[in-house]
Amino acid sequence: MSGSTRSNFILGLVLVAFSAVLLFVWIPLDTDTGYIEKVRRQVTVGDAAAPSIAALFLLTGGLLLIFVERARADQPAFGRRHLVFVLSFVGWTVLSLLVMRYAGPALVAVLGMDMEYRLLRDTLPWKYVGFLIGGTMLISGGISMVEGRVRPQRVLLSLVITTVMMLIYDVPFEDLLLPPNGDV
Amino acid sequence: MGTLDYIWLGILAVFQGPELFSMFGLPISVTIAMVLAGFLTGIMVGATPGLAGPVAMAIALPILISVFGYTPDALLPVMGFLIGVMKGATIGGAVPAILFNTPGTPDAFMTTLDGHPLARAGKAGKALRIAHFSSASGDTFSDIVLIICAPFLAILVERYLDLPEKTALLILSLSFIAAVVGGSPAKGLISTGLGLLAVYVGTGEDFYPRLSMGSTQLAQGFPIATAVLGVLIIGAVLKELDDLWRKKREVGTVAASADQGDQRLHGADIRRLFPYIARSALIGTAIGALPGIGSTLAATLGYTVGRARYQKRKAPQDPAFGEGAPEGIASTEAANSSVSGANLIPVLSLGIPGNAAAVFLILAADSIGGFNPGPSVFRFTADTVNPELVVAFGLFTTMMLANALNWTIGGLFMRSMGVMIRIPKHILLPSVLLLTLAAIYVQETRMEAIWFALVFGVLGYVMRALAISPLPFVIAFILGGNLEATARQAFAATGGDPWFLFTNPLAAVFMAASVAVIVFTARNRKAAA
Amino acid sequence: MKMILRAAAAAAGLAVLATGALAADWTPPGPIKLMIAFRAGGGADTQARLIAEELEARHGWKIIPEQVTGKGGLNAAKAISGENPDGTAIAMIVTETLGYNLRAANAGSPDMVTPLTTTAGSQMAVVALTSAGYKTLADVIAAAKGGTAIRFGVMSPSLADLAYVIGKENGIEFNIVSVKGGKAVMNGLTAGDIDVGFGAGIQAKAVSAGDMVELASVKSEPLANSPDAPMLTEFGVEFYNDTMFMLAGPKGMDPAARAAISAAIQDIVNDPNSKANQFIAKGFGGAVTISGDELDAIIAKAYSDADALMAASAE
Repeated sequence: MSGSTRSNFILGLVLVAFSAVLLFVWIPLDTDTGYIEKVRRQVTVGDAAAPSIAALFLLTGGLLLIFVERARADQPAFGRRHLVFVLSFVGWTVLSLLVMRYAGPALVAVLGMDMEYRLLRDTLPWKYVGFLIGGTMLISGGISMVEGRVRPQRVLLSLVITTVMMLIYDVPFEDLLLPPNGDV
Repeated sequence: MGTLDYIWLGILAVFQGPELFSMFGLPISVTIAMVLAGFLTGIMVGATPGLAGPVAMAIALPILISVFGYTPDALLPVMGFLIGVMKGATIGGAVPAILFNTPGTPDAFMTTLDGHPLARAGKAGKALRIAHFSSASGDTFSDIVLIICAPFLAILVERYLDLPEKTALLILSLSFIAAVVGGSPAKGLISTGLGLLAVYVGTGEDFYPRLSMGSTQLAQGFPIATAVLGVLIIGAVLKELDDLWRKKREVGTVAASADQGDQRLHGADIRRLFPYIARSALIGTAIGALPGIGSTLAATLGYTVGRARYQKRKAPQDPAFGEGAPEGIASTEAANSSVSGANLIPVLSLGIPGNAAAVFLILAADSIGGFNPGPSVFRFTADTVNPELVVAFGLFTTMMLANALNWTIGGLFMRSMGVMIRIPKHILLPSVLLLTLAAIYVQETRMEAIWFALVFGVLGYVMRALAISPLPFVIAFILGGNLEATARQAFAATGGDPWFLFTNPLAAVFMAASVAVIVFTARNRKAAA
Repeated sequence: MKMILRAAAAAAGLAVLATGALAADWTPPGPIKLMIAFRAGGGADTQARLIAEELEARHGWKIIPEQVTGKGGLNAAKAISGENPDGTAIAMIVTETLGYNLRAANAGSPDMVTPLTTTAGSQMAVVALTSAGYKTLADVIAAAKGGTAIRFGVMSPSLADLAYVIGKENGIEFNIVSVKGGKAVMNGLTAGDIDVGFGAGIQAKAVSAGDMVELASVKSEPLANSPDAPMLTEFGVEFYNDTMFMLAGPKGMDPAARAAISAAIQDIVNDPNSKANQFIAKGFGGAVTISGDELDAIIAKAYSDADALMAASAE
């Protein structure tokens, strides 16, 4: 036992707690037909049965972690570092995607067009606005994070990559819709 | 319609399918072109550290489906492309492993051990040729085993397994995958449980979408592409970016050593390597036929067995395994390459995927429709044509076609792929992320799909950070619906017998084996810990 | 009074004329989203996509198909309900979605959507393998009475109810096995997992090849391929299943858009030269285009009939 980390033990506790919530709160409250149900004078399997099996898998896994694999030597350290990464990079990705979603409609509104973006989403240049801005943000954000600084030529490179991607999807295939043009 | 007629129809479906263009008066079918395109793409992505076959498959799939449409005619071109990628990536992964000591795909790790020392000694060309020859041999052997075994297994399953046994068999495969994949049964169970839980959201028999917490977004459940691509691809991208971020260094250009002397592969070399290739091909095929155990284990086992044999027989002046022995490359590459064909045995005969490539083949079949991998495919009907069986033999034909491409142009193309390592990973990874999200979007055309995929991506990242293999998650997600439906049907068909899994002898054996495999691996691990 | 009536009639006539005229010039203000309530690649999905293709070709409209599956079409019905009613969103569902399914789920009333037009009916039948030896449903019932356990494959809750009622009226109990889709019933029959099952038309090829036999018509009229197959009424069952494929728009859809899109779709499915028409003829026994008040009435009846079927199967 290395003693350096207790991630198995903690994960085990989290999973036991989660599966308890699943079994006793979420599944009973959020399914309509119970484990078994009587319809048409026949007993059938209800909608709660299968998720409960899933919960039992989680529970067994959690218990095994706590009682059998608690002291294993090869436990990964898991902690703040991972959280910081997720919050920063995934946070940036979420922001980029929100820009992707709303840049087009916002631009249409700002320019005072007499049509909604919804109706313009299949016309140039509107259909590219969101994907280009959001995509460039996403890629350049990732690059800059690893490089530790923002370099203009990287942003330009990201714009080029996003443009190429956009053309790959949009030019040869008439039926493909780039985000966010399918659901505005 | 005899068996031979079906085989012939399958071959015709590939070669006489919709024509793309004609060359020297010979029509080239679109399927042939797609297999070639997939194969070359596969070598390229395999040779690029940070990319692997599944990434290319994930990104290509929605594009291919919109090109070919949702008709059964689309099955062979699309799946042919995926099979091409699968085979190309297998040999492509060896390129950076040999030239730069960086495996292009995870299963090429063992190839670095002897491949790179050989390259440093000026024998890079020869090392690549050995890798290619061994890989192509293992791959072809595995495909032949698949083509012979899958139909028989499917017919046996269809003839002898009733609904309760089918349910028990699904449970057995899930617990086997949970126990064996990812190194720890506890973590395998967790991965499986999460996958099942995810697929049960919003689905079910009742009109109320279960576990949807009243939200209309969750009521439709998670689209399969968001879960699979999220956990498998986006999770991997996040993990790799995190590693790069921590190291804060770019992948610089690595100096390759210049080749010296004779680089060719002679008949004498082949005769010397053959016993190693043959053993590894058998090992890889046997392991591949079991769902879930990946090519990495096959490579390790092949390498270990090869080393044992080599130590007894090698001449004193020959390099040992790990110091540039050609036999080391041959043992590894033949083993990891012979997994892919055999891995399709459970896919085609039972509908149970065993690795990421198989997952994408199922995803393709599921998205296009008209082909449901499973025992019903191999129904040799007498008076009517079973179109699914034609597709199955068409798939076998595309595999043999890809092998032919591998033997003819694969080596040449592969040896020119050393440049791929110059692509900086930290630019590649965010681009792959955007490309994957866009690929999911074009298929689902709603923003929720992207949000779901991102959440699954974070889940995949956390699982990797905690050393939980994401593969059981994906396989459980794919099999979960089927498991529930089959269990329900078995329960109803037996007139509501609650013990249907145990009253039937074969089902009871499967159930006992499911418990045994978990207990056995857990005890083994405890002893090892 | 007469004057008022005449004026009202004139006004109504004008309104009809106006709608007609509007329908003729109507063009969608943007791309049209087509929600498909069925799995990609199945017969219903193919039908919807063929119609979409033809709409694009004939009218230059841009149609964007999208899968919104699950819950017997209710997910699609709920999704289409709140879309913009200007004709830029339609959905492909079945009449059963707005009938039995909506009623059983207690998820709203049929006016949550605007029905456009039906496209095709079904050839709903009780089907078995020829090798099983049954000639009609009567043989199955006799076998069950003799003590054989019969597994009955169904692909929707209303058909499960119907299978139960068939058993109940004849003093037997089937083991009712729910599967996903008509293709799964066919596979289950072939694999021997089930003994008999419902087919909505997918059985046509196997029936004409002699591999399968239609034991009874589940429709209100005889089957196209087996006109001699008995009707359910002969077994004391007063229910039937006349499910039709249909398109629907959002709640409160613009009448001009409704008329224009319905007419355009009807033109396509009724045109023997269109791929959609040929596909429907092959798989669903021919085009059925009912729209307007007649369709509204069919849906209203399907919705209210659901109670009777549920009551019969709850006993």
